[in-house]
Amino acid sequence: MKHVLAFELKRRALLQMLAASAAGAFARIEGACAADDAVTIGWPNDVPSWDPNQRFTPDAQPIFKAVFDQPLDQDAELKLVPHLIKRWDLAQDGLSMTVELRDDVLFHNGDKMTTEDFRYTFFERIKAGVKLDTANSWKKVQDIIVESPTRAIMKFTSPAPTAPQWMAFLGSYIVPKKYLEAVGLDAFQGKPVGTGPYRLAEYELNSRIILERNERYWGAKPKIARVTFQIIKDPSARVAAIQSGAVDCTINVPVREVARFEKEPALAAELNPITRVILLQVRNDLAFADQNVRLAAHHAIDKEALSKAFYGGAAAPLSVVATPGTPAYLADFQFKYDPELAKQYLAKSNFGPDNPVRIGFAATNGQFPSDYDIARAMVAMWKRVGIEADLEVIEYAKYFELNRGGKLPEATLYSWDNSTGDPEIFAGYLLNPKMPFSAWKGMDVGEKLLKLFDEANYEKRIAGYRELNRFAVEVGATIPLLQSVLTLVRKKNLAYTKYANGWILAQSMHWS
Amino acid sequence: VLVTVLKLIGGRLLAAVPILLVVSALLFGVLRVLPVDPAAMSLPPTATLADIEAKRREMGLDAPIYVQYLIWLKQAVQGELGRSIHYRRDAAALVRETLPATIELAVMAMAIATILGLCGGLLLFRLRGTPFEAVADLWSMLLLSIPEFLWGLILLFLFGVVLQLLPFTGRLSPGFARPNITGFLLLDTLLIRRPDMLYDAVKHMALPALALGLAFSPTIMRVLRSSLFDVYHEDYIEQARLRGISESRILLGHALKNAALPTLTLAGVQFGFLFGGTLLVEIIYSYPGLGNLMVDAVRNADLPIIQAVGLTYCVVVLLINTMVDSLYLVLNPKLRAR
Repeated sequence: MKHVLAFELKRRALLQMLAASAAGAFARIEGACAADDAVTIGWPNDVPSWDPNQRFTPDAQPIFKAVFDQPLDQDAELKLVPHLIKRWDLAQDGLSMTVELRDDVLFHNGDKMTTEDFRYTFFERIKAGVKLDTANSWKKVQDIIVESPTRAIMKFTSPAPTAPQWMAFLGSYIVPKKYLEAVGLDAFQGKPVGTGPYRLAEYELNSRIILERNERYWGAKPKIARVTFQIIKDPSARVAAIQSGAVDCTINVPVREVARFEKEPALAAELNPITRVILLQVRNDLAFADQNVRLAAHHAIDKEALSKAFYGGAAAPLSVVATPGTPAYLADFQFKYDPELAKQYLAKSNFGPDNPVRIGFAATNGQFPSDYDIARAMVAMWKRVGIEADLEVIEYAKYFELNRGGKLPEATLYSWDNSTGDPEIFAGYLLNPKMPFSAWKGMDVGEKLLKLFDEANYEKRIAGYRELNRFAVEVGATIPLLQSVLTLVRKKNLAYTKYANGWILAQSMHWS
Repeated sequence: VLVTVLKLIGGRLLAAVPILLVVSALLFGVLRVLPVDPAAMSLPPTATLADIEAKRREMGLDAPIYVQYLIWLKQAVQGELGRSIHYRRDAAALVRETLPATIELAVMAMAIATILGLCGGLLLFRLRGTPFEAVADLWSMLLLSIPEFLWGLILLFLFGVVLQLLPFTGRLSPGFARPNITGFLLLDTLLIRRPDMLYDAVKHMALPALALGLAFSPTIMRVLRSSLFDVYHEDYIEQARLRGISESRILLGHALKNAALPTLTLAGVQFGFLFGGTLLVEIIYSYPGLGNLMVDAVRNADLPIIQAVGLTYCVVVLLINTMVDSLYLVLNPKLRAR
């Protein structure tokens, strides 16, 4: 794997060099040649499965959202909005939620969508033992009582304050009970049936997904009739694809390419801040057992400089583990960059530039844009104040195993995506000592946080997370760095709705 | 000839069993000692540490490695290579789905490598002793030093981005619906009698196949030239000259036939390497083959897929070697006499 990563770096650098050198002279972008009712999107990853309940893969959600529908949706500003569910009412104790579904929704095969399908999706198939990621997110569901084809009550074993948010989150797509039971899971994956604005016309693993407009869609019909997702995993190949006009739109191109594409008259290049945080997951032991060292490490990081250097200044520096505009973000709380203060903290523990404290530091290389470069810059920033960090590269997959065995170093560079923006799915998961992500095992943060998991009152819950976010940073239990950005390049005449969580939805696209 | 070839194939099949056992055990052992947690990777972000421990037990990851291997081996003998952690599908089915694309690519690339290798080898040999020999030698060395992924990027940039002559993503243009009869796209387009689709598919394969072919042709070139040098020291070449046969006829009609045998052996070995080389080229060209599947599996710590693909590579290399040796027997009467 190291070999593969090294190779990626070399060829990426090479192609970018080649592309940049000849771009001005040779670019042939034919922006206006695309058919009005078709679009080709260069997408970085395939769907892991056509059973949308099966795997939680953030990159696959925009594709699933084209073929399937979620009970609730989010608008461009991430506010929860009705979708298949017209109305919902979470009980004050958080132990039940009444939902009312639309009565005009048809699956692609013509079957009507009812509360039986709702019950099947969120209860029956989970209890039947089908290997679904949603089995974990909906494990609190004790039963779903169907009162009518459009009305049902979800019963939970313990308070489920984020049940509405999860109705619009990973994997929560309604699947057709009758069809799935008739054809079985394998056949369903071969020919998936949803209620979404598009139906699957053709699929080739790791190659392309062709969608055709669902003419009987219950909601606003998409303007684009045919959508092709061309799976292009290599960032350099995506750059080449948009530059040559082979695709109309693509995402996750290297940040430095965005500046180049901005100069192309037929292309629009964007750096869009999204609900993804880049942070340091820190331990509460080893050299980081000392709070002075943790706080010094945080004060020593110039986040503005990191944003300018690696994200063109578009990535907002963060002081808490939440992104601007989300409920538990603290706009009035700033954890300042102050190397002198960092030195003072270190001096309290008898460390300094002449007597540096040594810490371990892990980072991925290629898991998210510029990750390794950010880590190297941070090592240099720390060195100036008296923190000597030994940087090691780890695979993302290795993170869990190292954390499980207590083998992560003092700090690990990490990225976390949360399209809902809800604080439970930010700090609630990242700092929860019972979950596999948290390197922080101290119960000072853990106890405060676990109480919030059972808090059904929305206002109290959000207030609790706002307090917790501040506390966690002040004690050095986490070091938030930046709000991540999504790079997107499209033909200028291809318009789309920009979602704050980075969703690129084909159903929102049209040619202008 | 047939009996000899059948004997050879039988012998090779018998030898393949212990080889596969050793390779599978090595693969299994290496994958299990890697510091990744397949149980954590197979669960969603909402899973707790307790969930992960339960999953580890369910997946048998708490048992000693040799016990895990024996369980896997028992299932593998029955044709079950486990279920993909990432795709939640049968690993063998995923391999079956992606293998034909890689075979097609590798065969086309090998054809290109062989043609370029033979032509280049003959040219290098003909230029011996001339002022152009050093230049040709330099070019062949340059070709030899460029790996397949670099060719992939250069060709993609040149023919895909700058000249826009050839497509460089996927296997078919958006207007074509992929037929799925045998899994081999080129064959399927022929079966449904769609020459336009065949042309489109070949155009999509041209750049990745050329990248691989260019990378593997210089070795063939140089071995052929070296074999021709050896053959030209044989008496029958001199006798042919004395009989007044032209240099071109001596080269193509006499020397090439004998020099081709070591080249053929090398080409067989090269094909094994070339099959492995498809991995990175498939990623660059978004080509949906076995290599693409493998890279995903490595990224996702999808151990059943890595194991299945690793074994498939091993089987393919063994098969190719057997085929080349059989061909060698057919072409070389001396070996049959033994």
